[in-house]
Amino acid sequence: MASTKEYGSETDDETASTFSLTEEDHTLGNALRYILNKDPRVAFVGYSIPHPSEERVNLRLQTTGPLARDVLKDALQDMMALNDHVRVKFEKAVEDYKAVEGMREMSVGVSGSGRLFLVIIV
Amino acid sequence: MLFVMDATISGPHFAIPLHLAPFKQLLCFSGEQNFIRFPTVRIRELKDDYIKFELRDTDTSIANALRRIMIAEVPTLAIDLVEMESNSSVLNDEFIAHRLGLIPLKSERAMEMRLSRDCDACDGDGSCEYCSIEFNLNVKCNSDQTLDVTSHDLVSSDPSVVPVDNSFAQDISGFDAPEARGVLIVKLRRGQELKLRAIARKGIGKDHAKWSPAATVAFQFEPEIHINEALMETLTLEEKKEWVDSCPTKVFEVDPQTQQVVVVDAEAYTYDEEILKKADAMGKPGLVEIISREDSFIFTVESTGAIQASQMFINAIDILKTKLDAVRLSFDTEEADDQFGELGHHMRGGGIDLVSRVIQ
Repeated sequence: MASTKEYGSETDDETASTFSLTEEDHTLGNALRYILNKDPRVAFVGYSIPHPSEERVNLRLQTTGPLARDVLKDALQDMMALNDHVRVKFEKAVEDYKAVEGMREMSVGVSGSGRLFLVIIV
Repeated sequence: MLFVMDATISGPHFAIPLHLAPFKQLLCFSGEQNFIRFPTVRIRELKDDYIKFELRDTDTSIANALRRIMIAEVPTLAIDLVEMESNSSVLNDEFIAHRLGLIPLKSERAMEMRLSRDCDACDGDGSCEYCSIEFNLNVKCNSDQTLDVTSHDLVSSDPSVVPVDNSFAQDISGFDAPEARGVLIVKLRRGQELKLRAIARKGIGKDHAKWSPAATVAFQFEPEIHINEALMETLTLEEKKEWVDSCPTKVFEVDPQTQQVVVVDAEAYTYDEEILKKADAMGKPGLVEIISREDSFIFTVESTGAIQASQMFINAIDILKTKLDAVRLSFDTEEADDQFGELGHHMRGGGIDLVSRVIQ
């Protein structure tokens, strides 16, 4: 799995860092960039894949004050929460859909299409 | 060096959904106010190997991460090692081994299984229940009729891992339908035989497409179509019909009663802009305005049958979470190194490149 290496800036200012994520690509790079961009503490964020045949993402992060690594860690947590949320919503939606479908099939089996209409409206 | 940039910093502030409210403190890692949007999901169509759903209130980068993971990183099982005992068919050994690899296998177990390269219970030789499943095939043709060797002839050592069988699908008519006969591997004439042992392993689509559970995974932006009614009324009925017909997909229609142009299927629009060019050519620019809503996505997921389509999406979320965890944990090991220096590094078995913090 991925490993991360942090490169500080020339002035040893830890509010600006480049993180080098190995074994990752646009899948994680672009999603992290989006989440970080939503964070008001972020002054700049961008990512690049220096060479297409090397599995590596360089993520540049500059903040308005806090440590860059802390902001990145928060972004990871935020995205985790987002994922959990989508998972819950998706499973709920599938369950609801199956319940409605099941009810429709049952009502078709019992009393034909007249009932079918009712159930859909409900 | 190229940076992908996005100038917008924070979007509208969304409230936390009710079921997550108790965790509000826990959720807001990155500030007092929660600026992460929480998406909503609605299922439109659901079958075992097909799902169509809406994902709203999120961003392309999130939708695309999930799409890419479904295609290339959700694990499945596929035949990876073939030992030929006898092969007198017209196809050579490598050709048959390749064909066997491409047969989709039921892979509900794949998420719990180990990759054979990470398995310490065996050397990846197929004798291990954690990383491999054995198949046997032994067919000989003894008649003058050509014999089809199909995926049905593969005998699995695990009843939960078998070649995908579509013969119970609804649309197949009759016993002799080609889908009901399984996946064709090779044809044998009288006297030819095929005998082999095959090992199926866990893998991901990134390594080889045979491990991808996805037949199609796509998302589209939801189009928002606004007709300029005032301008539209300046057109004659003939012109309206001509304009409606200029769209390659059936998006608009002239209502036979009111003779007004109405949108019948906004999602059929393929962003080809033919309709806009037609309006310009007719001297009516601005007749219609079409915006793609870049925070609403309509996902179409088709599975090969290896994993249920809805499960594919759930697995994709779980994999994205493990990725995030891996990045976060690699930070922690780095911090441990800062604290214990070389000692901690050596105690972990000399971890490869998480060690040094480069300060220039």
